[in-house]
Amino acid sequence: MDKPDKLARVEQDVLSAMKRPGLAYLAALGCTAALFLGLLGFWGYQMKTGMGVSGLMHPVGWGVYITNFVFWVGIAHSGTLISAVLYLFRARFRTSFNRPAEAMTVFALLVAGLFPLIHLGRTWKFYYLFPYPTQRMLWVNFRSPLIWDVFAVSTYLTVSVVFFYVGLIPDFAIVRRYKEGLAKRIYGFLSLGWTGTRRQWKNYNQLYLFLAAFATPLVASVHSVVSWDFAMSIIPGWHTTIFAPYFVAGAIFSGTAMVITLVVPMRKILVLDRYITDDHFESIAKILLFTSLIVTYSYIVEFGLAFYSGNPFEMEEFRYRALGDYTVMFWIMIFCNSLAPLTLFVRSLRRNVKYLFVLSLLVNVGMWVERFVIIVSSLARDFDPYAWGTYTPSIVEVGITLGSFGLFFTAYLLFLKTLPVLSITEIKEHL
Amino acid sequence: MENRMMFQDREEFLSALRNLAREGVPQERIRVETPYYVHEVDEILPTSPAKVKNFSLLGAASGTVFGFAFTILTSLSWPLIVGGKPIVSIPPFIIIAFALTILFGALSTFFGFLILARLPSVFGVVPKEEFGNAFVITVEPGETK
Repeated sequence: MDKPDKLARVEQDVLSAMKRPGLAYLAALGCTAALFLGLLGFWGYQMKTGMGVSGLMHPVGWGVYITNFVFWVGIAHSGTLISAVLYLFRARFRTSFNRPAEAMTVFALLVAGLFPLIHLGRTWKFYYLFPYPTQRMLWVNFRSPLIWDVFAVSTYLTVSVVFFYVGLIPDFAIVRRYKEGLAKRIYGFLSLGWTGTRRQWKNYNQLYLFLAAFATPLVASVHSVVSWDFAMSIIPGWHTTIFAPYFVAGAIFSGTAMVITLVVPMRKILVLDRYITDDHFESIAKILLFTSLIVTYSYIVEFGLAFYSGNPFEMEEFRYRALGDYTVMFWIMIFCNSLAPLTLFVRSLRRNVKYLFVLSLLVNVGMWVERFVIIVSSLARDFDPYAWGTYTPSIVEVGITLGSFGLFFTAYLLFLKTLPVLSITEIKEHL
Repeated sequence: MENRMMFQDREEFLSALRNLAREGVPQERIRVETPYYVHEVDEILPTSPAKVKNFSLLGAASGTVFGFAFTILTSLSWPLIVGGKPIVSIPPFIIIAFALTILFGALSTFFGFLILARLPSVFGVVPKEEFGNAFVITVEPGETK
């Protein structure tokens, strides 16, 4: 095939995903949207009735909502890793994954942002989080990790949206060419009037490089700040210096698993085998394996720190974590995050896409459970035995959690039909 | 009357561009449109490097300064000791300043790009003609050096 034909073929292959949706797509969208509506229903019920409808009770005041917040912020991380860090390292396989990964980052952050609001109970007071003075001119406490979170997560969301949009600009111009009427105007508007002149490309290239450079430190900083929500307290199991790198590694690990979960069915349904090859999956599986090893190392170090601390509260907390009320969750976490990914040392398994898909689901489960175990087991058993207690999520919390997955997958399904699913321009450049 | 050359092949396009440069056609008269970034164009028609980075530096620096000024001045405006920490606690303020450095830097880079690339372009929203995957050289009329 001639080069010009190849370029046209790329456009047609990628844009064919944007054709009129079929029944299977609509059914999937219906299911995910129903889950999301369930979230809205449960959330409305909670706001009307009060936080008593959740399972949150003394001493466990942070439960599934905060678990979900940490989980979804973590999911977002690997999108930035793939789009920004791998760009700076000139890893060419990123071209196959960067668009879905960037979309995943934006949607995961939108979902994550809901949870502090849900957890507030009185959601209508959400603006208390923003840095503005009270009537008596007292500003927010900038020494509080919760305020750091507001800055870190809102910066991350803004930068991720800009990065995602910037990557789409030349592709919007391509979509514009294929559309007629109002759709042409909409995509033309979104493309900002891009025509591919030398001036545009020269400045665009530098823009993309610098945005990648700005986004890269966020991969490390945002989940570090999230981890400090815990580590800055004195609760046993939380108050440890390892938390920041431990959370960042976990975030990249879970996000990479989610990329595989999203891209495997996408490749199959949209017939993108030519652009997302088994080699690409093998590369991403190596990231999964590598981050799994870091996470496992963190688990060991965490136990080691508690053991050598000589602090009875720390030692008891880690005994309780492995053998106490949440022991099943703990061992699910170990199996999914530490043991199952070890199979990726086998090359044939790294290249087996069906196996990778199943493993990615296990890792998603394992990482959600990890957040749950860290948050709940420490609160359930702190210093004073009179204050000990256990926590079980209520049906409202389960419904809202499922609804968060509904919202995430609804957004992703809408993305598949409205935006180019792969970076057409970058694929052309590398042909 | 402007002279337009369209190429489907990248190498032919580059060789035509080299010829124009060799003939002494001034850069200002040559307009190039490509389906993706072709770095050789900048080698054939050398210009000063893109200045988007200046916006990045300015934005990032102003984010840092604003982050520290905002946290320090608001804390001093009502000096309330919380948790026995100093009123001006630099380590936590670094986190705010860091986030604002990235935020201001990224946004200013984006707006700098819009200014330098002259976007959004009203005429480009639905352009009169589109060249698809062709590499296009348009030479505007004028004197050759």
